[in-house]
Amino acid sequence: MKFSINRTQFIKTLNDVQRAISAKTTIPILTGLKLVLSQEGLTLTGSDADISIEATLATTDEKNQLTVEEPGAIVLPARFFSEIAKKLPEDQMTIAVGDNFQTTIRSGKSEFTINGLDANSYPHLPEIADQNPFSIATDVLKQLIRQTVIAVSNQESRPILTGVHLVLNSGEMLAVATDSHRLAQRKLTVSVPSDVNYDVIIPGKSLIELSRTLADGDETVEIRIAENQVLFKAGNLAFYSRLLEGNYPDTARLIPTSSSTQIEFNAPVLLAAIERASLLSHESRNNVVRLTLNTADNTAIIYGNSPDVGNVEETLQFENLTGEDLEISFNPDYMKDALRSFGQTAIMINFTAALRPFTLVPSEDQEHYIQLITPVRTF
Amino acid sequence: MGKIHELSEILSNQIAAGEVIERPASVVKELAENAIDANSTQIDIVIEQAGLQLVQVIDNGDGIEPDDVSTAFKRHATSKITTRQDLFKIQSLGFRGEALASIASVSDLTIETATANSLGTFAHFKGGILQTQKTSPIRPGTAITVRDLFFNTPARLKYVKTFQTELANVIDIVNRLAMSHPQIAFTLTNDDHLLMKTAGNDDLQQTIAGIYGVTMAKQLLSISAEDLDFKLTGYVSLPQLTRASRNYLSIMINGRYIKNYQLNKAIIKGYGSKLMVGRYPVAVLNIQMDPLLIDVNVHPTKQEVRLSKEPALMTLIEKAIYGRLRTENLIPDAVQNLKQTKVVDVDQLQMDLNQITSQRRNATGTVRPVHQTSMPEKTMKTEPTATQIAETETPLKTEPTADPNLNSLPIFEQPRQLAQWDDKYAAESVGNPFGETAEDNEVPIARFPVLHYIGQLHDTFLLAEGEDGFYILDQHAAQERIKYEYYREKIGEVSNDVQNLLVPLVLEYPNSDAIKLQARKELLADVGVQLESFGQNSFVVHSHPTWIAQGQEEATIREMIETVLENGKLDIAHFREATAIMISCKQSIKAHHHLDDAQAKALLADLAQTENPFNCPHGRPVLIHYTQKDLEKMFKRIQDPHQSWSGE
Repeated sequence: MKFSINRTQFIKTLNDVQRAISAKTTIPILTGLKLVLSQEGLTLTGSDADISIEATLATTDEKNQLTVEEPGAIVLPARFFSEIAKKLPEDQMTIAVGDNFQTTIRSGKSEFTINGLDANSYPHLPEIADQNPFSIATDVLKQLIRQTVIAVSNQESRPILTGVHLVLNSGEMLAVATDSHRLAQRKLTVSVPSDVNYDVIIPGKSLIELSRTLADGDETVEIRIAENQVLFKAGNLAFYSRLLEGNYPDTARLIPTSSSTQIEFNAPVLLAAIERASLLSHESRNNVVRLTLNTADNTAIIYGNSPDVGNVEETLQFENLTGEDLEISFNPDYMKDALRSFGQTAIMINFTAALRPFTLVPSEDQEHYIQLITPVRTF
Repeated sequence: MGKIHELSEILSNQIAAGEVIERPASVVKELAENAIDANSTQIDIVIEQAGLQLVQVIDNGDGIEPDDVSTAFKRHATSKITTRQDLFKIQSLGFRGEALASIASVSDLTIETATANSLGTFAHFKGGILQTQKTSPIRPGTAITVRDLFFNTPARLKYVKTFQTELANVIDIVNRLAMSHPQIAFTLTNDDHLLMKTAGNDDLQQTIAGIYGVTMAKQLLSISAEDLDFKLTGYVSLPQLTRASRNYLSIMINGRYIKNYQLNKAIIKGYGSKLMVGRYPVAVLNIQMDPLLIDVNVHPTKQEVRLSKEPALMTLIEKAIYGRLRTENLIPDAVQNLKQTKVVDVDQLQMDLNQITSQRRNATGTVRPVHQTSMPEKTMKTEPTATQIAETETPLKTEPTADPNLNSLPIFEQPRQLAQWDDKYAAESVGNPFGETAEDNEVPIARFPVLHYIGQLHDTFLLAEGEDGFYILDQHAAQERIKYEYYREKIGEVSNDVQNLLVPLVLEYPNSDAIKLQARKELLADVGVQLESFGQNSFVVHSHPTWIAQGQEEATIREMIETVLENGKLDIAHFREATAIMISCKQSIKAHHHLDDAQAKALLADLAQTENPFNCPHGRPVLIHYTQKDLEKMFKRIQDPHQSWSGE
């Protein structure tokens, strides 16, 4: 195998693929980067068994300046190889594999020889048939991920909750995540044949990596789902992730359908107030703030207290307050995460009772996005 | 005729042997225990090939009357108990009357025995059958020789492990027997090598020295405690002397070595946070109690016992150890910490120093008040006085093979140094560094020196000068201790708030635990964990206390439940001790952190206020100490004892 390529283009692709390569793995070959060269182009593969990323630099793309001299395949130690590639002197670099997988990397007057591994011993990527694929706009998918992964659990003792539950039914896609303290749900309409239905759980970590890998330039992402794998294809990139096995809890009944108190806030304004109120709450002892709503006086007061340090009280700015008076306590961290996910919009908070979960929705579009938080019972 | 018939005596003995005689060590144990029960004062144990070839136990005890010899080898034949009542107040080690019959049934055994006023008897058994019996010219006592163990039970013989393993087991058994009976002189010889020898002069510490070595014995503290039911005496190690296993914990009840997990736990609890994680102390505890309170008739080997007042005994042990360690100066001696310094040197040094102090005192008359004659009583309660030192030396002189180091043993607890502290505190009417606490308590609180700050070394260690020498402190460990004692209090004051769960936790427990848990649900409810029954052995948790770290909910709740199952109580402050340790570690200054004088002095002052300024919460030492003598010796201001000896 021998080729030369534009170094900048190569490094850009390498950075994407490297996300999937972990320094810690039980299969040593997975710490390597797989390179496969054909007349059509150069394919880079990285994998940590949970996720795998494959990216292709095509011969036809002029920017790549890819000249193929002899097709072949090799696995190179990812950490060393990427450091080398980034530090080489010239714009162009040449890679040639010799005997015993000895690989020479040449650029300008610099020449490295590193020990490679047989590409045949690299695990095969899952094969996912291209039946019933569907597409989503890249920015919509990234937004969906950003809005739901905040509620994913990081508690490995309940593995199923470390994923985002994705349900596709009659052209409607529902993404739900909960760590059992809070819940995030996003609805989308997808243009697929109505008989294409899916019900899968994608690890939250995979989605975070996917969101980082997806370039803003790509317009749509094609999604293919197999029994235990999901494949996202965008541009020259293929992103594989395993799926979590098991039954996701029935979250539909957790979301209250009616409310007794409603209040409307500007999300960034409320976020700033919550951040102030939580300054004094102590993470390991008393991470709680209290919200008091009084419809008669038309006031909303937030209160935080830490016996060691002191307390804080702030009268909140809000738009509309209707319904019954309420006093409710909650963990400010959950509220902060939820508010950040809304960005610069007006939101509606709906309460049912002091000990019942409450929901946050955008005032404009109350249907498609909802954040739910469970309160704290104080004594 | 039915098919069921009574087994022959030999066969039933062999069956019994299967239980009692598992390996050569069991033979040694049974025979040595018989010797102890026979009021012997000298027991010699000779084995060959780890006991497989030969086990010989020779004692100078009561002996057996000629007429009784053949009876003694019958099953359930014993002189130790007679009536039913005796079973409930067993004073002797044995009582079942099975050992001799069992051993004889699986070996080739000869016995020579004589009482004080009868002719001696010789008898030979093979496979449990009497071969010969005749008179024998033997002095009072009993000698039993067991050869070809397990010759007729090949399966058991195969089960026997390597010589090393079996030998280790024998040594272990003899060690424990010797420690439980310091008044008996034991010797153990394997293939003509003397493996162990104890003096038999009723000094437990010397016995321990004979078993674990002098170095270790020197680092033991004597403890004693008593309540209405129990009398506890023994030795426990300083926290710096630890082992990786619990094997060095020996508990003897009424002279019987027993294994009891709960009592081991009590010992470890007595050390509190002074032990490093995964390290266990060395301890030898002799407990005397009314035989009515203990049931040894649990297992044929009698290592497991049932105690009727176990919790009270646990509290007694824990308090005794805790109280004893509190009175100790726990600053490791820098010189002893140095690996290259040989133990002998330290002994010699200390003896030497004794002489020098007395010489100096005589010569100048102006030295500090360091005199053994004026030692206050409280330190002397447990430490031998100078006269005792002289006394213990005398019997040893008659034992030419005894370790010559033994004679320096009684000064190992550095009474001189302790005496200095006591003198100082007696003399210092002003500036008691411990304020009221010292007055409130009868037990003197461990002495923490008044330190004068000198400077910082490598931005990591603090150097300080005390009344009696030079101190080096680890600044991180010091602050960690201060913070730990602060957070240990704080961490228990959790809020009662509970966070609701959207998806409840389902916890499943085995039947036995679920029943216990059902009964103790209230304990958990009190700390904010509401268990709801969910099916037969499962519980649902709908909410959890807010203080539980995020992501740790299930693990923490499970741990709380386990604590409740095991201890029957749950103390949040204690439960969160690990968190307190972690917070204190994180919040403390690390190494390579520059401190100015004011900061360093504040740290020393805060450290002096702590309950245990000697160890960080992980058990590492906070400060080490060079006495002035150590320093003088290093600079050869005091002649090295070796040089002065060789010079003569």
